[in-house]
Amino acid sequence: MSEMKQIKNLKQFSTSKERFQGGHRLCPGCSHSIIVREFVNATDDELCVSTATGCLEVCSTIYPYTSWDVSWIHIGFENAAAAISGVEAMHKSLKNNKKSFSDKPMKFIAFAGDGGTYDIGFQSLSGAAERGHDFIYVCLDNEGYMNTGGQRSSSTPIGGATTTSPAGKVSYGEKKLKKDMMQIMAAHGCEYVAQSAPSNWKDMVKKAQKSFAASGPVYINAVSPCPTEWKFDPSMSMEISKVMVESRVVPLYEIENGSKVTVNYKPKNHVPVEEYLGMQGRFKHLFKPSNKHVIEEWQKNVDAKWEYLLRREEAGI
Amino acid sequence: MTEEHLLKGWEEFEPGATLFSFEGKPDQEVHHENNSVQHSVADWRVDKPVHNKEFCIDCQFCWVYCPDTSIIPDVDDKGKGIFGHIDYKHCKGCGICVDVCPTNPKSLLMFADHLPVEEALRQWPEKEEKK
Amino acid sequence: MEQNRIVWDGNMAASQAMRQAKIDVVAAYPITPSTPIVQNYSQFVADGDVDGEFVMVESEHSAMSACVGAASAGGRVATATSSQGYALMIEVLYQASGMRLPIVLNAVNRALAAPLNIHGDHSDMYLGRDAGWINMVANNPQEVYDLNLCAFKIAEDYSVRLPVAVNQDGFLVSHTTEALNYLPDDEAYKFIGDYKPHNPMLDPEKPVTYGAQTEGEWHYEHKMRHEHAMYNSFGVIEKVLAEYKELSGREYKFVETYQVDDAEEIIICMGSVAGTTQLAVDKLRAEGKKVGLVSVRLWRPFPKEELAKYLGKTKTITVLDRSAPLGSTGALYNEVAAVMVDNGYNAVLLNYVYGLGGRDMTIDHLTEIFNSAKECSDAGKRVKPLIQTINLRGKELSFY
Repeated sequence: MSEMKQIKNLKQFSTSKERFQGGHRLCPGCSHSIIVREFVNATDDELCVSTATGCLEVCSTIYPYTSWDVSWIHIGFENAAAAISGVEAMHKSLKNNKKSFSDKPMKFIAFAGDGGTYDIGFQSLSGAAERGHDFIYVCLDNEGYMNTGGQRSSSTPIGGATTTSPAGKVSYGEKKLKKDMMQIMAAHGCEYVAQSAPSNWKDMVKKAQKSFAASGPVYINAVSPCPTEWKFDPSMSMEISKVMVESRVVPLYEIENGSKVTVNYKPKNHVPVEEYLGMQGRFKHLFKPSNKHVIEEWQKNVDAKWEYLLRREEAGI
Repeated sequence: MTEEHLLKGWEEFEPGATLFSFEGKPDQEVHHENNSVQHSVADWRVDKPVHNKEFCIDCQFCWVYCPDTSIIPDVDDKGKGIFGHIDYKHCKGCGICVDVCPTNPKSLLMFADHLPVEEALRQWPEKEEKK
Repeated sequence: MEQNRIVWDGNMAASQAMRQAKIDVVAAYPITPSTPIVQNYSQFVADGDVDGEFVMVESEHSAMSACVGAASAGGRVATATSSQGYALMIEVLYQASGMRLPIVLNAVNRALAAPLNIHGDHSDMYLGRDAGWINMVANNPQEVYDLNLCAFKIAEDYSVRLPVAVNQDGFLVSHTTEALNYLPDDEAYKFIGDYKPHNPMLDPEKPVTYGAQTEGEWHYEHKMRHEHAMYNSFGVIEKVLAEYKELSGREYKFVETYQVDDAEEIIICMGSVAGTTQLAVDKLRAEGKKVGLVSVRLWRPFPKEELAKYLGKTKTITVLDRSAPLGSTGALYNEVAAVMVDNGYNAVLLNYVYGLGGRDMTIDHLTEIFNSAKECSDAGKRVKPLIQTINLRGKELSFY
């Protein structure tokens, strides 16, 4: 077991060795790289990273450049979990047979967008989680296929206008509720499942460190505000992330060993969902009088989910 | 834009199109020519952030929330991270550092990319009254 | 070399060779008819006969993905599949070869649906034709065993560093038990040698990026480097097969020939049908007919030069394709036709699409094919349709 890196505050954290370099081609203000940095810089252990096809993959390893100061692999869109499970299996095999390249502690992370997680990579993730590999799966959840021009995924929330669920004369955009990956991964019996937002670096780092300390599969749902497709100013990414947390749209919570729910942060002031929706172009059409019911439904869903989590936490199950 | 020296012939590339992060061992911290840290994205920028150390409290929010690893910290005598400098080769000018800066007036502000830093510092605003 | 004699089917031959290779990671998913390989290997794990990791994944796509991850990580990797599983893997087969990872795949060939069929034909092997893997064809369990050992050595040679598929016919080879010779464990392993890692992800002293995106200025160069490695592999394959002959006494060539020197009608084929064709040749030779057989062992890279050596004098060449080309001549036919044109050879060419979904191809059928070819030889031109079928019910069906 490796020693947990001490990160009490940013003055300490910022002395970390940087493991994800600039010069990548992510959009200005993209939250993906913020999440990646919070995560990979939170440990001094050696890392092997796999990444699903998507914004992060395509922008961090455009030949002839790599932004990764750790070993990294990308195979396809749907197999980030299978890929890292192979790397982890090889690590285990070499270790068991005393053929390891190094005695240094090694951790395994898969990064994928919500398309590569909720949709096309779902089977691969489910398989790898069920097999119990020692890996951490981080979903960079920007609620759509942003790398290809903002199509809907099963993470796109109701009312969201995407290029394949556009708002129109007779449509308010996406009709389905966002898939609940947290519960699905908890049901796999993952050792640790957590949701975080990049604007709360402390929460993210804490969850990253809990992930590194775990020995079984870990699933992290990291919400990743996307200036390009959510349609807001790039400087506002962390503001949006903050409002997502404060409005309880994205509760910061964790589920340990498949059942124990802890809500890590309880906003004191009630921020209505309307405020969050109003900050983004993708929900602009919801403010037409005829779509008012969608905002009401949004609020109802957020409240119900929040209530559910609190009751689970209280019940200890 | 691709640097000319990297445009090698087919026989010169590493098999499998692999890329390396470092020249030599990682702890020597010499990045490989194929590390994106060698690549400038400065031309993406319209506005640039300028840092004013007069107001900075070294909170390091700008460091943690920079998506382009462009706030390069220093370490003080006590081994603590403090603001170092802005890496203008990799900053895309998104403005998050300015947004998350908690001081009043802010210690980071956006200015037109062509404006000299000294001129930007001269234009720095006064402390804002709380609304 | 003292060898052991045993009765194995093709699947067991593959499994035992995998055991002897001391593979670091096997990631696999069962599918008929390669399932017994996965089962056998599971038993090896259960009995402590192998030391590596065995990852029982949830699909063939993940099987090959985990293999690619494991091979990039830095160790010996193998798997097995068939048919629909092969088709599900196909995306990742391209990734494995493009990343230059020496993975060994036992491809137990089976028809592709629809309609669904679990029996042997070459549809899956043909599907993977352009995936950048070295493809060898084993015609019986002995060959499956031998070529598996060679496959690891070829794949892992630094000047090759390409994945290798060892193909065998579903059921006809995979489930047919035959007596064969195998090497003692230590000799087999010594032949393959220890795995020599190249740019392993698991080496923290040299972080490496696998699977970058190469756009316009780069993609062509990388693909041609891959192409170059493929052609480089001829020499390495030849060397490894020669070393194996030295060790085992069993000789393998890029193309195997039988009675071709003075043959006027030659059948060119791949897979287990070669054995049956050999019997047909014997029968017809006994009747005084000058017939011969060429069995292609190395499907990719395709041994054009080697093949050309045997085709210059014959009058008629009949190429057997065990896959429906669905709109053209068969893939093996096309290779042969290209060799003929490249060398200015003038024999009459015929193409049979046969044996789909495991349909029998007997000595009688092959006799019929030889006799039909003879008519062309006698006429000095093609007097039969270009693409013909054999042992197909219904009205005679042929094309061109």
